[in-house]
Formats: sequence, structure tokens, C-alpha cells
Amino acid sequence: MKKRPLQYFFILPATVWVLVFTVYPLIYVVRISFSNYQLGTTDLFFVGFRNYLDNFKDATFWNSLRVTLLYVLIAVTAQVTLGLYFAWILNKNLKGSRIFRTIFTSPLFVAPVAVGYLGITIFYETGGPVNYFLSFLGVHVPWLSDRYFALISVILLDIWEWTPFIFIILLAALQSIPEDIYEAALLDVSSNSQLFWYISLPLITPALVIAFLLKLIESFKLFGLPFALTAGGPANATEVYSILTYRKSMAYFDFSHGAALAIVLLFVVMVCVVQFFRIIRERY
Amino acid sequence: MRSYEGKIKQAVTYSLIGIFLIWVLFFFYWALTNSFKPRLETFNPGSLIPFLHFTPTLDSWILLFFRQMENLPLAVVNSIIVSLGTTGIVLVLGTMAAYSLSRFEFKLLKNKNLVIWFLSQRVLPPVVILVPFFMILMRLHLLDTRLGLILTYVTFSLPFGIVIMRDVFKDIPLELEEAGLVDGASDFQIFYKICLPLVKNGLIATAIIVFAFCWNEALFAVSLTSSEAQTLPVYILAARKTRGVHFGIAGANTIVAIAPPVILILFIQKYLVRGLTLGAVKG
Amino acid sequence: MKRKKKWLIGLCVGFFVVGLVGVSFAMTRERTEFLKTKPYRGITIKVLSLKANISETAVHFAKQWNELTGGDCQVVSVPFAAFHQKVFMDLVTGRGEYDAFINGDWFYGDYFLPEKPYIISIEQFMDDPKYPEWDPESLLPALQTVYKWNGKWYGVPNDCDSHVMYYRRDILTNPEYQARFKTKYGYDLPAPPETVDQFLDVAEFFNGWDWDKDGKKDYGVTMHMRTGGQGMFHFISWAAAYVISPENARFWFNPETLDPLINSPGHVKALEDFARLVKYGPPAMLGWDLGEAWDLALKGDAVLTFTWGDLGALAQDEKESVIKGKIGAAPMPGTMRAYDPIAKKWIEFDKPNRVGNVLGGSWHGVISRYSKHPEITYDFLSYMAEEDNAFWAFVRGYTGIDPGRTFAFLEPYGTADIKDYTEQGWHLDDVKPYTDAYYLNYTNALQLPPMRISRADEYLRALDVAQARVAMGELTAKEALDDLHGVFQEITDRVGKDKQMRIFKEAMGLK
Repeated sequence: MKKRPLQYFFILPATVWVLVFTVYPLIYVVRISFSNYQLGTTDLFFVGFRNYLDNFKDATFWNSLRVTLLYVLIAVTAQVTLGLYFAWILNKNLKGSRIFRTIFTSPLFVAPVAVGYLGITIFYETGGPVNYFLSFLGVHVPWLSDRYFALISVILLDIWEWTPFIFIILLAALQSIPEDIYEAALLDVSSNSQLFWYISLPLITPALVIAFLLKLIESFKLFGLPFALTAGGPANATEVYSILTYRKSMAYFDFSHGAALAIVLLFVVMVCVVQFFRIIRERY
Repeated sequence: MRSYEGKIKQAVTYSLIGIFLIWVLFFFYWALTNSFKPRLETFNPGSLIPFLHFTPTLDSWILLFFRQMENLPLAVVNSIIVSLGTTGIVLVLGTMAAYSLSRFEFKLLKNKNLVIWFLSQRVLPPVVILVPFFMILMRLHLLDTRLGLILTYVTFSLPFGIVIMRDVFKDIPLELEEAGLVDGASDFQIFYKICLPLVKNGLIATAIIVFAFCWNEALFAVSLTSSEAQTLPVYILAARKTRGVHFGIAGANTIVAIAPPVILILFIQKYLVRGLTLGAVKG
Repeated sequence: MKRKKKWLIGLCVGFFVVGLVGVSFAMTRERTEFLKTKPYRGITIKVLSLKANISETAVHFAKQWNELTGGDCQVVSVPFAAFHQKVFMDLVTGRGEYDAFINGDWFYGDYFLPEKPYIISIEQFMDDPKYPEWDPESLLPALQTVYKWNGKWYGVPNDCDSHVMYYRRDILTNPEYQARFKTKYGYDLPAPPETVDQFLDVAEFFNGWDWDKDGKKDYGVTMHMRTGGQGMFHFISWAAAYVISPENARFWFNPETLDPLINSPGHVKALEDFARLVKYGPPAMLGWDLGEAWDLALKGDAVLTFTWGDLGALAQDEKESVIKGKIGAAPMPGTMRAYDPIAKKWIEFDKPNRVGNVLGGSWHGVISRYSKHPEITYDFLSYMAEEDNAFWAFVRGYTGIDPGRTFAFLEPYGTADIKDYTEQGWHLDDVKPYTDAYYLNYTNALQLPPMRISRADEYLRALDVAQARVAMGELTAKEALDDLHGVFQEITDRVGKDKQMRIFKEAMGLK
């Protein structure tokens, strides 16, 4: 590799763009999180950590954090488990597997707001298909008007949308394991589940780790699905962090508190990622 | 394994695939059937099989496209323009940067650091820089314009495009380029005539993923547009009327909103996993 | 969908009728002459409206106005959840894309926050005979408060919003049910209930069984409580009579200190009773928007509700409603004791203390200070306010424009004739209760003051969440409202107490 003028010409536009449009905004957010910027403020001044403290004293902040963390925990666990399960089950060379892969990937490319939007009709309490089929079991669930079930609705729809993500990655990882390894293992091991736990799982762990981490990061970005489904309701049962930040910044034009919320989110996400890497490094 | 056991295993596998299929496809099926159901039938969720339970009609579709107040055509046009615009810019700038990163070594900033910087963009929740982008577009008078939205989406998609394409370029053996050098080709010609054709599939995959991102993005679309530049997600968020939910229209709206990206994924199977994991896992 | 076809036909017919006949009778000579010149040819004005039937009505009138004046009025609509944000995004950023906003009355506080208000007064245009004529005094006094600011006119009459109580006349006068009610509660089944306690008893009595013999379970009450929609107005109209009385006119803030009154014992009792009321309706209504809640009543499955005028009008459409001819209306029920939060004492009454309200958006047009054609914009808005056009909209349920001007009411209150309503398909027995109820509501001397300070949408949303949580049983009324008191104070402090005080006084018309 030698140094040539073309290399700078090629890389400059993109790098400059990303640097300017991410570094500057980040600095800007940090700055206004320490100021008093709101609808129609003319003179800005430094207020120290007041915005952060205001947020920490605000019950809606803690509610949001709780809702988001609950969702992240439950949804990601379910998605990884289901994705792994189905990847293992379907790791055979089946006819038409290409079609299957396409079909199974499709939820991932559906707009989250569309999932939430159609989700209203699916979880519609009197007249939706879910309650219709549940009624045969004598069950009626208040999907959209109960604090816990509303969040469950969000989680269920999110599982529908994102399990394919995990599935497709793990399937690819599984399929890259050569057959001979299984053949060799079958000399020592007889059951399928032993094959899975002692052979396949260790071999796909790198992919599993990446899939898990990526999904974790994506989860904190959740916005469109709950916004379209319940707009954060009922009351604030599904007001995930992004929705709260959006509302404070864009609906109330309370930029300073919104910025403080944003920085806290960034912090939380980074802590999760760093923690995650620490765990990985320890075990591997 | 005895064939009997094998047959049972096969049956179990196929039924699980069947369950998985139904679970995945129900959403689309629900949208489709509702969009073709007569209004009264939409109140009956058990009525699911066309021609058996109900006679399909085009009523909801006609309502959708010919009502005066609906902005559907505008939203579709905006979505197309914004998505294609962003994809185009990302392909051009991103591929160039990716090639550079994959082939050349930089003195100032180590390649590895740049790649890590681009990768780290993915960790950033978009809502964090929502306000600054609002401010920037406001100062540039680009609020509620397609260009403003394109600029925003390019910022988010570029790192993604760069990392993927760099990975793809790295797969190309250097010998091919060196052969070109021997023939007296310039750097640019090597890039344009030799490398680009070889990464066609990677380009398509990147393009489709970026396109889908723009088509589906909601947070920035809803914050940075008002009426003129609204995209489909903004339209969908506004679609729930105070008069209640019309299942037929909901189905039709959903179909329009999800069709392009879902159809496009037919073309990216080869690079799908690599795209989703930013190259970390090879599909 | 069939309603839509009827709407299309109605639109064409209405267009011709008003466009040809009404026009020649309703205009001054100056106006007629002015229009002959097609004065606004080539000029475009943009109006941002709430996305609802009222925006469709605005489009309908815009078409006619375009024909008459040669201008091009474009109506853009935004759903409720994003509407306030879009209006202020246009104003605060200085973009000024829209000439007018068909806004909700609680937006006003934010318009007057800066030194130079975001909207301009219409008084400069009101006397000019070139423009469509409308009589300011035709708007009932209580409503005038939401169209004016600090004594000056800013809004052009359009929709008139308030909550009145609706009830099933046929069910509440059913002898068998009357007997059973009396046995259970010890007094005659009131038709309609006059106090909140009676309302609760009636709702409880009729909740959960099939009293209209249609094979479906029926409910006591239906309400549109979806968070982020207009659900909190139910609690507000319910609570008015617990706090407002001949001795106290304050509901939201103490006018001397701006201390929030929202957690007074009167408010708390109101919320406790309200939470009880929620149990007498379908659980799903916590997620229902206007249409879904109204549908339950229109399908005949709820015996009581309280909401805007749209319901009474929609009940007349036989394709959507089975309660035509059976729906009664009356002003909101009153209380036998109310709390004065300023003097801090309970007051007892001999007769029910009933309070009027102008709750809701009363969606109407105001002119943006960025408009390049304010007078042309005024022309369009006042066109919709012309008596014939306004009346045309009042009598038709699907327009979303509810009555509030003298010519909409029957004798002895106004100049309308019952035939005007029955010709539009109203059932003879429904017209008088409906119009009387609204008239009595608007002319009640006791009025719930509308919330019109800056950040009203934020205060209202906090209230929305608080009352929803109590309704869902997560918090007690006292806990929620004490907490809300703190939230209200925080918002006030954030805006700046002095600023809010000024705006509050201007809104109330106090010096």
C-alpha cells in the first residue's frame, strides 16, 4: 500500500461529512444540556447541572427509563432465544431455503411505524384477531388499555419484527460449521441437544455475541413502534425513552431538558456496551 | 438413523417451519385481506379467507387514493425522492471512502481508528442528535424540505455504507489491481473499471439496506418535516383518525408503506448477513 | 364508507345551494361588488388545520371561496398529537409558511409569550364591508372569551366546543327500569341526572347488562380517554362543578400567586368520583379515541356520556346510529357541595350547582403575524363565519362544527326554526334538547375558565397522564393531584412566573 493523492480525494468528503455532522451536533447537545434553551429564549446562559437534576427529580424520566429497560431486557432475551432456537431447528439443507430466508427476513424491513400502526388493528380489543382467537379459550386481554399489556403488545410486535435479525445471523453462523465436525462428534455424542450445547453453540458464540450486542444497541433506539401503536399510552405505560426525549424537545420545545435526557441515554447505552465487552473479554 | 425416526424428525421440522411461516406471514396476510375486505367484514376478524368468507372489493383502495384530504401520493413521492437521493449520495461518497480505507494506509489517523469511529456511529441513538439537526436545518432554512431530510439520512447511512463496502473491497485480491497497474491504468481507472464491477452485489446490498432505512425512518422524519416533505412514516403516524380505526384503510396504508423494502430484499440474499452485522459475520 | 358517499353527495349539493342561493342573499352590496372583480386572483393562502371533520369542512368552504374570489386557499391538516407542535414550529422558526391556523383555544397563551405576538388581531378588518359580514354579538358570551384576548378579537368564529351530557331518553323513561332503580337507590330514576351522584348511580345501574335487548352487553357510560388524544377533557368538564360556584370562579391557578389549585379537596373529590365513573364503562375505553367512544353510544350500547356537539348530530345519521330520536341532552350535572380553593372551604347548595364550560378546541382560525396577506386570510375565515355558511355547518353532524351562535338556537333562545334541523334529517324530538342544552351551557353565568396560559398543552398533558393513572387504579386521586401540583409549578417556573402571570391576567381579561 503506497500513499497516493487519490486516497485523500476519495476519503475526504465522507469523513468530513460524518465528522462535521456528528461531532458538532454532539458538542452542541452537550452545550445546551447545560444551558436554558427553550421555546423563544433569547439569551442563553449556563445553568450547570440543573437540567440533569430536574430530569432526575421528574417521575416521567424514571418511568421512561424503567419502561425502556424492561422492554430491552425482555425483548432482547426473547429474540435471541427464539432466533437461536429456530436457527438450530432449521439448520438443514431444505428445499427452497432461499425463499424461506427471504420470507423470514421480511419483518426486519417493515417500517416500525407500520408495525405499530397495523398492530393497533391486530391487538384491537374488540374486533382484533388476537382477542378473537383467544376468545375461543375464554380469554379477553386488554392489550391497549392496560399498563402492562400495552407494554407486552409493544414487546410482542418488536419480537415479531426483530427475531429474524438474530435468526438469520445465527443460521448463517451455524451453516458455516463444516459437516465433518458433526460427524466426528457423533462418535462421542448421541443426542441432538448434546450436539447443540457442546459443539454448535461454542462454535457460533462469536456470531451470537455480535448479534446480541447489535440488537441491544438497536433496542435503545426504539421509537416508531410504540409511538404508532399507543403514542406512549395508556397514561405513560409505553413511553420509551426516545418518545419522552422527542416530546420534550420537539413538542414542548424544551431543548435544554431534552438535551440532558439525550446525554443520559448516550451514557446508559455506552455503559451497556462497555460492560458487555468487559464480560466478553473475561470469558473469552 | 432409521428412516422412521428420520421421517418424524422431518415432520417436526416442517411443522415448525410452518408455524414460523404463519407467525411471520400473518402480519402481511392481515394487511392484505383487510385492504380487500368490504367495510362490514372488517369488523369480523374471523373472516380471513377471501371468496370463502368474504368477497374481495377495491373499496378501501379507492377510498385511499381518491380522498381529498389524504396525502398519500405526496408521501410516496417524498419517500421515493428522499430514499433514492440518500442512497445515491451514500453509494458515491461511501464507496469511494471505503475503497480508500481498504487499500491505502493513512498517516494522520490510523485506518483502524477511522473504521472504529464509523462503527461507533451505530451505537449512537439518533434521538441524541435530534435537536442539533433541527437547529441546523432551521438555520439553513431546510426544515420541511426533502433536501434537509436527505442530508440528515446521509449522515446516518454513510458510516454504515463505508464499513460494509470496505469489507467487500477487502475480499478482492490485490493481484487484480496490480495487473491493472502493470497495464498502465491510473488509480481511478483501477477503481472504476476493475474493482467496482466486482463489488456490484455488495453495492446492491448496501443500496437496498440504505434505501430501506430511509423509507422506514420515523423519528427524524416526523421532527424535521411538516406538510411538504412528509414521508410515508409521517403519513402513517397521522393516519389514525379521531373517528376511529378503519381496518380496511389501515391494511391498504400498511401495504403501501412496507411494499418497496420488503420486495427489495429478494435481491440481497447474498450479502444480507454481512450487511446486518456490518461485516462482522460473513453470510 | 357509506357515510363518505353521503358526504360527497352532501358536498356537491351544499356547494350549489350555498354557492348560488345563499351568496346572493347574505352579502352586503359592497361585498357583491368587490367579488365581481375576482380580487384575489393569483394569490395563494395556506391554512393549517387540525385533521378532523373540521378540516374537511374547511376544504369544502375553501373550494367555494376560491370560486367566489378567484383566490387559492389551501388547507393542510395535521393530526391532534402533532398539531400544536407543527403550528409552533412554523411560528418559532420564523418560517411563516402558513397564513392562518385553525387552532385550539389553549394555543393562545403561547401566541402571546413573545413581545410581538405570533397572531394579529382581526378587529382592523371587522368593520370593512368588503369582507364577509358576521355579527360578533351572535357568538354567545361564554364563547367570546376563547375568541378574544385581553378584550380584543383575534379569532374568527368557527367551531364552538363544550361538553354537555347525553342520555338515552327511551331507556331512562322505561317504567320497568324506573321501578328497579327506585328499589335499588331509593329515589326516582332521573332523566336526565342532575347531580354527579345521580349520574354515578345511573351509570352504575345500567352498566354490564343488556338493557336494550340487542343481545350485546351494554354499559353505563362511554368516554374517549386515549392518552395523547382529548381524553383529559372528560375529567375537566366533570370536575368543574366541584370547584366553580357563585363564590369562586377559579379552577386552575390562584390569580394572586399563580399557585396551582389542581390538588384542592374539590379537585381530589372530583377525581375520586371520576375514577369510580370509569368503572361503569367498557375497560377498553381507556384506549379509545373520539370515534370509537362515540360509536359505542351510536350503536346504542351506552346509556350516558358527556362530550361535544358532534355526538348529537351524528346520532341523526341512520346509517351509523340506532339512537336517532332517542338521544337527549342537558348541561353537565352539578354538585351539592363545591370547594372554594381560594377561601379554602366547602360550600353547600340547596339546588344543584351547575357550571357551564367552553371545553375543547373550539377550533377556529387565527391569522399568523407572518402572513403576507392577512386581509385575504381574514376574508376566507370570515366567509366561513357568515351566518348562512355557519348555520349550514351547524346542522350537519359530519362537519364537526358545533353550534354556538344565536341563529343556531330555537325559540325562545335564538332565531332558528325547528324545520331547519328536521329538513337536514334531524329527528323532531332530538333537536330541542340538543340545542337547548348547549344554549343553557353557554349562557350559564358560572363558567369553567379555559386553560389559556403559555405551555397549556404541557399542563394539559400532565393532567392527562395523572387522571389516566388514577382511572387505571395505579394512584389515588390525592397522590396524583399532589404530584400534578408539583409538575404544574415546575412548568410555571420554567416559563418564568412573571411571564405566566402577565399571560394569565391577559387571558382572564384582568388588569
